[in-house]
Amino acid sequence: MELLKHNLLVLLASIVFCSATFVPRLVFGQDAAIEAVKRQLAEVEKLLKGALERIDQLEKEKTASSAKLGQVEQSVKAVQSAPSALNPAIGMAIDATAEHRAKVGGDFNFRAAELGLAASIDPFARAFSFINASKEGVELEEATIVTTSLPWNLTARAGRLFADFGRLPKFHEHELPFVNAPLSLERMVGGESKADGAELAYLFPTPFFLQGTFGGYNKIGEENERVDDTKSRSWSRFTYLGRLHTYFDLTDNHSIELGSSLAYTPSFRAPGDVFGSDRTLSGVDLTYRYQPLDSTLYQGFTWGTELFANSERVERPEDLRKRRIALGGYSYGEVKLNRNWSTGFLFDYAPSIDSPGKKTYGYSPFLTWNLSEFNRLRFQYSFLDDKVRDDKAERGHQFFLQWTTVLGAHTHGFRTR
Amino acid sequence: MKINLKSCRFITFVFFAALLWIPSGPLHAQQIRVITTIPDLADIAKQIGKELVSVESLARGVEFMHAVPVRPSFVPKLNQADLFVLMGLDMEISWVPALLEVASNARILPGQPGYIDCSAGVNVLEVPTRIDRSEGDLHPKGNPHYNLDPSNGRIMAQNIAEGLSRNFPQHRQTFEQNLKTYLAELNRWMPRWEEMAAPLRGTKIVTYHLEWSYFAKRFGLEQVGFIEIKPGIEPTPNHLVNLAQKMKQEKAQLVIYGPQSDRFPRRLASETGAKALKLPDMVGGEPAADSYIKMIDYNIRTMVGAVKGS
Repeated sequence: MELLKHNLLVLLASIVFCSATFVPRLVFGQDAAIEAVKRQLAEVEKLLKGALERIDQLEKEKTASSAKLGQVEQSVKAVQSAPSALNPAIGMAIDATAEHRAKVGGDFNFRAAELGLAASIDPFARAFSFINASKEGVELEEATIVTTSLPWNLTARAGRLFADFGRLPKFHEHELPFVNAPLSLERMVGGESKADGAELAYLFPTPFFLQGTFGGYNKIGEENERVDDTKSRSWSRFTYLGRLHTYFDLTDNHSIELGSSLAYTPSFRAPGDVFGSDRTLSGVDLTYRYQPLDSTLYQGFTWGTELFANSERVERPEDLRKRRIALGGYSYGEVKLNRNWSTGFLFDYAPSIDSPGKKTYGYSPFLTWNLSEFNRLRFQYSFLDDKVRDDKAERGHQFFLQWTTVLGAHTHGFRTR
Repeated sequence: MKINLKSCRFITFVFFAALLWIPSGPLHAQQIRVITTIPDLADIAKQIGKELVSVESLARGVEFMHAVPVRPSFVPKLNQADLFVLMGLDMEISWVPALLEVASNARILPGQPGYIDCSAGVNVLEVPTRIDRSEGDLHPKGNPHYNLDPSNGRIMAQNIAEGLSRNFPQHRQTFEQNLKTYLAELNRWMPRWEEMAAPLRGTKIVTYHLEWSYFAKRFGLEQVGFIEIKPGIEPTPNHLVNLAQKMKQEKAQLVIYGPQSDRFPRRLASETGAKALKLPDMVGGEPAADSYIKMIDYNIRTMVGAVKGS
């Protein structure tokens, strides 16, 4: 098409040139002949103009037809996939470890086969679910409905969900940057922040990211056995959560993320406590990331730290108003060595929530090999200086080799990025 | 020091109330806010929207477009966007869905008028016949790197113009006029590029990833191998040895890579006598490629220079 346009222009130029060069010499003074040539030129010009317009028209039609063809192809594909198109995205994560603990010996630990389902419900909501099967049985980890089009920057979530407390408590165990969840998180939050309840998130209309969450739950913490959430009870015995979460790009390559969470239970009775009191679990999380724009695939560094504080009143004959406060936390750094390999170190400080004087210190270097985005091997050595458990099983040297794979669609979204 | 609880409460209240009133980003009172995933789309959207739009790309040209980190700083931008323009064909699958999940902006969700998928109408290459992860991190809808063929620049521009007009019909005439001007400019460049790229016809190349298929088809280059074993999977030593042998047999002249490491391209180049070329696959990938037209021009010139010099 372009070539044709070009040729036509050359032809026009040639005619004009020939006319200008030869015609005056041949027919000088012969007005009639000149007029005839002029008319011919005008006709040629008209013809050329028409041809160029036609070319433009054809170009438009060609583009429009290719766009239509693309749409038709997409429609055909959509029809072909129609029987399964409404099925949710399905995926499964498999997580297994080979473990050796100095005090108790070895174990092949099948930790999880986590089936994930996710789909839109209608124009107003979507839902996802994770069902976890392990050697301890089958368990519904999450089944959450999330709104997609609430006004005023609001998003509501309800069902069984990972409450918006802290950063790593919202990670499923196979998504953690190391093999095991930090003991501080296990003891203070109760492991993953699994909860039955509802929460409302608000995205502040600020130029930087700032999100607030308010939630109410039966209880928070997958392994939190201190509250029985199977019975109806006073609303004062539920747990209410508030969280503020922000993020800043310090430069193109450096960023910082900060969150603070507070989970408040107005009426809480610890095992053995006759009177009961309120319980406050608070946390601060800080994550620094170095992600060089031009080599994110190969380089990077993450430093993540979370501190937890648990405060609850305990029955003491000498002082009924005395509160028991436990402070704990973890800190880790992970360096990306290249596209497939990364390594890091985790420090863990985990007090007993019931006897804060007893503590566990953990030191865990780890090495991760990502064979692909969906296939990962990890080696971790841990040394635990444990003064909490009586059975000594968790003390001393520990070695883990973890193999985690994902089949099918599998994503946990923004919170666990 | 005694802390006055009432004062604390009041300060907290004022702080949050102030946050609600902070304007989100620069004030573009009358402008249409367009957010694009990659800079190519931002450049074209700016050409179509001109002064009627404010345009920003989430990714930068030097990044690897499949692996842009999910930065929370993108969320307020998406929250305020009138239009969201993306490449589609699942190119942004690893980072965009997580952002839209929290952006609280129903206008730009898939299927909504503000969601502009620029792949509509593209003649998609390499649509897999077998969708299985043993084939690597493949794209079930086909190769999404269509931006590197300048004739697809027209389709991208038309999709953006159509999206702008659909959402802001009062400016339809302006967008159509701007589209016409931009297409005319692209049309002026096309024969020039065809002529410039003539020496590339039949040139055998190896690329790191599948980015260059559309470019190769347009200008008649022949891809004889890839550094990645499968899309997204780094090479094994065996694969590199076999690839080097194949390059020698086929007399491959260029090893092309983009935001990936230069380690394997340079090694292959030194073993086979080919030239390793780092080329931008997005606008801004090189300082000289700061617009869509300049990026295409830069890529052709650099490749031709390398082929003529070899």
